[in-house]
Amino acid sequence: MSGHGFLFANYVPGNSLLHRAPLWLKFLLVLACGMASFLIVDWVVAAAALVLMCALFLLSGAGFRRLFRAVRPVLPVLAAIGLFQWWQLGGPTAARIVLNVLVCIVAASILTATTPVQRLLDGVASLAQPFRRFGADPERFALTIAIMLRSIPFIAGAYSDVRDSARARGLERNPRALILPVFITTVAFARQTGEALAARGLGEHETGEHAPPATPAAGHSLP
Amino acid sequence: MSTIVLDRAAVRVAVDGRPAPKTLLGELSLRLTEQRIGVIGANGSGKSTLLRLLNGLVAPSSGTVTVDGSDTVRAVREVRRRVGFVFTDPLSQLVMPTGREDVELSLRRSVRNARERSSQAEATLDRFGLLPLADQSIYELSGGERQLLALAAVLAVDPEVLVLDEPSTLLDLRNRELLRRTLAGLSQQVILSTHDLDLALDLDRVLVVDAGSVVFDGGPAAAVAHYRAICAETLPAPGPGPDRPRLNQPHVSQPRLEQL
Repeated sequence: MSGHGFLFANYVPGNSLLHRAPLWLKFLLVLACGMASFLIVDWVVAAAALVLMCALFLLSGAGFRRLFRAVRPVLPVLAAIGLFQWWQLGGPTAARIVLNVLVCIVAASILTATTPVQRLLDGVASLAQPFRRFGADPERFALTIAIMLRSIPFIAGAYSDVRDSARARGLERNPRALILPVFITTVAFARQTGEALAARGLGEHETGEHAPPATPAAGHSLP
Repeated sequence: MSTIVLDRAAVRVAVDGRPAPKTLLGELSLRLTEQRIGVIGANGSGKSTLLRLLNGLVAPSSGTVTVDGSDTVRAVREVRRRVGFVFTDPLSQLVMPTGREDVELSLRRSVRNARERSSQAEATLDRFGLLPLADQSIYELSGGERQLLALAAVLAVDPEVLVLDEPSTLLDLRNRELLRRTLAGLSQQVILSTHDLDLALDLDRVLVVDAGSVVFDGGPAAAVAHYRAICAETLPAPGPGPDRPRLNQPHVSQPRLEQL
């Protein structure tokens, strides 16, 4: 499977100010950037925010290449969105929308590049603690994030592989030859991941002695 | 050493368009107590289904499977704590982007303290010589390194039994030898399926599976000879010729299937 890029930057060990910053502050930064994307109406302010985020990313020592690798996968989509918005709403609006999305991606990359995944998962599990009283398992929230981090690059890689196969057979213009195999691969991947987690006893109820096996045979059914 | 008991366990699945369920594994009674047990047989013969029964990844359609008395359906959590499972393709098993993170993920349930978890993960990686690769992307590792990492992630929680589904299939000769040595050095009970007959010859007991049945159960040399005989009989003669009948009838000569 090729093309296993990561949408957000992988953790880069270091001792920068951002590495040492508390997790809640970095969460807040991402949240603020997400909120700002709704509030900022001027593309110049969005551009300034992007420059600031990029500067923070580079200050962490993660490097320009990682920054580029983090935003590269979304550039074709952003180009398409930008062109459409330009045609529909004009240049300034198109620039604002594209820049705001980039601000969010770079902010999220700052979080993932300066925080070990396990610390991130601990943070998510802590944030989910209040839901325990409603019967939710905070560890499952953390596991969901872990699976999401694993799944996004896999699906991107699957699409890249399928596109190459379709090209090799002269079918690159056939949407069925692109979408259907990616869909099937993704379902198979989800099943594999579920089996792998079940085999390691991850994601099971803490008190669940009666958790079902991952693959029910005839005569057994999942509740 | 753990005792795994299959009591008339069978696995059948419903298939669309078929009136009766398809039998993946016929009714089987076994008592697995040896330290090194192998399962050999052709592709699609039921080896993986048999192994998946052992840690509750597959539930028996009839009969029971127990690990030291814990039922794999009713006490699946307890069974999975005792029985670790390693898949053929490590990439389908490794969940996190780097080895360190994946081993730490394994430890999340058992070790709550983050620092302690981190130091235990380092110790596990060091034990397998993987510490220098701990922060590399799993996609940058070689096949052998990935398989060792998958093994380390499972062994991090110290299971009593280790089940491996064709662990050497995707490995080259060097990595296969590395895996063989690693497995030989483990204190856990090891149950593995393999197409590597040299690896099978190292084990204490070998089951030969054919068409969903265990057709031979005994010492490794005799089991491998039996498997070779099945292969020789079912292989079509070389060169053009009339259609030959399939000769894959189960061979139940000299079985050592232990009765409960």
